[in-house]
Amino acid sequence: MSTVSHLVGTGLVSGVQVVAVVLGGPVLVGTMRKVRCRLEGRVGPPVLQPLIDLRKLFRKQRMRPNQATWIFPLAPVVLVATVAVAIAITPLVTTQPALSSSSDLFVLVYLLIVGSTVLALAGMDAGTAFGGMGSSRAVTIGALAEPAMLVTILALSIGAHSSNLPAIVQGTLAHPGSVATPQRLFALGALVIVIVAESGRLPVDNPATHLELTMIHEAMVLEYSGPDLALVTAGQSMRLALLLGIFVNLVAPWGLSTSTQSVEVVVGLVALAAKVAFVGITLSVFEVFTAKVRLFRLPELLAGAFVLALLGVVSGLVVR
Amino acid sequence: MLVIVLALPIICGLVYVIVPWRRSLGWLATAAASGVLFLGVVLSARVVSGLAITGAGGTLRADALSAFMVVVIGVIAVLATWQGVRYLDGEIAAGRCTRRHAALYGILVQGFLASMLLAVLAANLGVLWVAVEATTVVTTFLVGHRRSRSSLEASWKYIVICSVGIAMAFLGTVLVYLAALHVAGHGPGSLDWTSLVANAHRLDPGVMRLAFALIVLGYGTKVGLAPMHSWLPDAHSQAPAPVSALMSGVLLTVAFYAVLRFKVIADGALGSAFPRTLLVIVSLLSLLIAASLLLTQRDYKRMLAYHSVEHMGLIALGAAAGSPLAIAAVLLHILGHGLAKGVLFLASGEILLTEGTSEIENVPALLSRRPVLGGIFGFGLIALLGFPPFSLFVSELNMLRAEFQVGLGWAATVSLVCMAVIFGAVMSHGRRLLLGQDSGDRPLMTPALVAVPLIGGLVGCAFIGVSAWPLQSLLHAAARIVAP
Amino acid sequence: MSGSGYSSALGLVASVVLLCAVATLWRRSLGAIVRALAVQGLALAGVATVLGIHHHDAGLLVVALLVLTAKAVVIPMLLARVVRGDPGSRETQPLVNVPTSLVAAGVLTFLAFAASRSVTSLVPTTAGRLIPIGLAALLVGFFTLVTRRKAVSQIVGVLLVDNGVALVAFLATAGVPLLVELGASLDVLLAVIVLQVLATQLRSKLGSFDLDQLTELRD
Repeated sequence: MSTVSHLVGTGLVSGVQVVAVVLGGPVLVGTMRKVRCRLEGRVGPPVLQPLIDLRKLFRKQRMRPNQATWIFPLAPVVLVATVAVAIAITPLVTTQPALSSSSDLFVLVYLLIVGSTVLALAGMDAGTAFGGMGSSRAVTIGALAEPAMLVTILALSIGAHSSNLPAIVQGTLAHPGSVATPQRLFALGALVIVIVAESGRLPVDNPATHLELTMIHEAMVLEYSGPDLALVTAGQSMRLALLLGIFVNLVAPWGLSTSTQSVEVVVGLVALAAKVAFVGITLSVFEVFTAKVRLFRLPELLAGAFVLALLGVVSGLVVR
Repeated sequence: MLVIVLALPIICGLVYVIVPWRRSLGWLATAAASGVLFLGVVLSARVVSGLAITGAGGTLRADALSAFMVVVIGVIAVLATWQGVRYLDGEIAAGRCTRRHAALYGILVQGFLASMLLAVLAANLGVLWVAVEATTVVTTFLVGHRRSRSSLEASWKYIVICSVGIAMAFLGTVLVYLAALHVAGHGPGSLDWTSLVANAHRLDPGVMRLAFALIVLGYGTKVGLAPMHSWLPDAHSQAPAPVSALMSGVLLTVAFYAVLRFKVIADGALGSAFPRTLLVIVSLLSLLIAASLLLTQRDYKRMLAYHSVEHMGLIALGAAAGSPLAIAAVLLHILGHGLAKGVLFLASGEILLTEGTSEIENVPALLSRRPVLGGIFGFGLIALLGFPPFSLFVSELNMLRAEFQVGLGWAATVSLVCMAVIFGAVMSHGRRLLLGQDSGDRPLMTPALVAVPLIGGLVGCAFIGVSAWPLQSLLHAAARIVAP
Repeated sequence: MSGSGYSSALGLVASVVLLCAVATLWRRSLGAIVRALAVQGLALAGVATVLGIHHHDAGLLVVALLVLTAKAVVIPMLLARVVRGDPGSRETQPLVNVPTSLVAAGVLTFLAFAASRSVTSLVPTTAGRLIPIGLAALLVGFFTLVTRRKAVSQIVGVLLVDNGVALVAFLATAGVPLLVELGASLDVLLAVIVLQVLATQLRSKLGSFDLDQLTELRD
């Protein structure tokens, strides 16, 4: 009985996580946009604007290019589905999400990669020049960020002797000082750069650009409209929220609930919202002062992330 | 007394700082150098019996090896400072050098001598390192004294490469200190050479291996051993002639003295196999590189500089052999090479001053145009190539004998082959320089003031070659320190 | 200082030293490279301070102050003066491009760990386990020296090698005797002054800091 109740409990908590991120992701994006606008001296759109935009898009007409195949409508669905599954199994609000034994960092990374690969295919599927350009750029960045990501995971797992994310987070909860070890700090430094690359923020990609030739992610989704565009936008914001959530729980997992009791879950939710908002605002303040890195300089940036993660692995093997 | 030895060049330098430059002040430097030589001889007489003198509260220490090095430094310093007067006269007359620059030159040379003396008289390996680093800093400005583009390039290369080498030597020193701490614990004597030698057999072998390798690479950079020799031809050819004489004749060997001191410790900790192998590799590499690059030299100062690389390789090979005979021969070679190379560099400085070029083809038929100078240069080359009656013949022969005795016969054979190649190269370059089409000019006489010290140096070299009696006991005492 | 607090603090500052060394390979702007050097000097002083507090050794704290003034303040100021005189303060195309240099830095780190195993086995303390980091910083500095073309970058390479050696010295033996440390710092300072003067003279002769233009002396 307890196993079933445990399963039900964790399932409910994961459901809460998914709903929270689905709704909270656009709010996060709205908040970041608002902070950026204020710092630039403008008033900016209201914080809930992305949610309003989503509602508007769902009611609009769906248009598809004539030469698009079945990949085109499938991609947004796959994107949102994979990100939702990733959210469900990540310890965002609690250290015991559903299927926590499968909640491995490698699994998470590859779930996200499936989403972006399908989206890249859909970008090419549209048959336009900009779509192909955006897809190739996105795939390049993904290819450069992937080794850095993998070595970062390695560096993070050395301390906890496992790559299971709930186990790492629980280890950090038990030994708060382990965050200050050089291996964890290097790995988190590398993780920041990789997160910026994977979620398409400055200095890798400018999400607010209107010039097609400078677009990376937007160029891929240029042909989407109506509910498809809504799903893609929602998926992107969910992805950002997920990545930032993983980051904050690796750095400062306070407030995470360690069981499935409702009080603790609520506390965990509030803590998650606060921490993610803080990191998001910091990120957008940083974005105000950064310029987009030129495309051929991206290998330098991501190689730096790779070496940082490597240093983290090396110091992890030494400093015990 | 040891403090006086150091104080002489320091006082002389201070005089240069205070008093504005006059020509006669140049002779003050020679006087200081002669004082150093005199004190060195006195020191040797006192330590030859095997005792050691300490001074300055234990920071300075003179045993037979240090005393011998002081004598070497003194002899070549006398020659170099004598010629220094002439060099500065020429530079001031040509308008390339103001009085302030001349005073700066004087100060720097005295600083150079003081730091070299500190290095050979140091009792503590840390002080030895500080002194060797000080020589690097001082000589950089001396190398770039002429402020031309190529001398600037030479001094840049010099300080960058030697700084890295010195840093590696520092790491080696630190590792030796680490090994010593484990044996003796913290204390003021942890880097003291005598206590390190006494405890050598208890030092950790792994750390000592790494430390000795770093020492050979680090101090070896200052010795000019390949593959860290690339600064040597540029620096020695671009520096003013007296400075080149000092650097090539003495500084290289002072750096090698540091390697020898560490070798004693390493032999105690590791046995002689590892140090020997390391030194053999480095020396053969130097010999091969020097031989191959000497063939194509067009500049006589660069030729002399590469020749120094070869001789340092020979010295390293002799030290690798490690027997008392080999070490005594190495020390004799240090003195003989210093004398001969010093005389040659000073003569080439004179040639550069009067001919204005350092390319061999532009200075043909030197013997017929400047008989005395050409003769000095020719005899100097003969001395360097190891002909009797000059002392290098004796020292090279003894080194070869010792190497065969110890089992390094194959290395000795390789060195013989390289020496033969170098012999051919230098002979052909020398022939082009000294002999050739006579342009029919009247032969110029070299002023006696210039010629006398040079001829004196060569005569001294020959004298030591023929009969080493004034030095024999000192050499044996010094060799016993390195190879007990 | 408590045990784990000491070890994480020491590990942190030691890793910052290596990070600054890698940063000089990563960044192109000469000003950023000099700033990385200053931060490295700061971290080095931090290492000496942590060690001094842990061993209750006042001499080490004096040395930390010395290192702070020399390596984190004076030397970067001298270098900044040289950089200000350079019109194009960016590293021209280095001999090995940036991503490859960074990967090479990772390889050199592994090499350092392999080479210093005998030393770490001799010093099995917390500090001793971090010695390979110093050696790695040394090797990265050497790599910078060999693959960069601007005069300032070469000076920075020499200083990185020096800082790496200093880190190993602090970690292995809690510093060398004070006399030697004084002499060493003085020598390094003098060397940097000499380098700075030479660099300025070079610039007045050549018109730029590009060492590729120094090709008169060759065989």
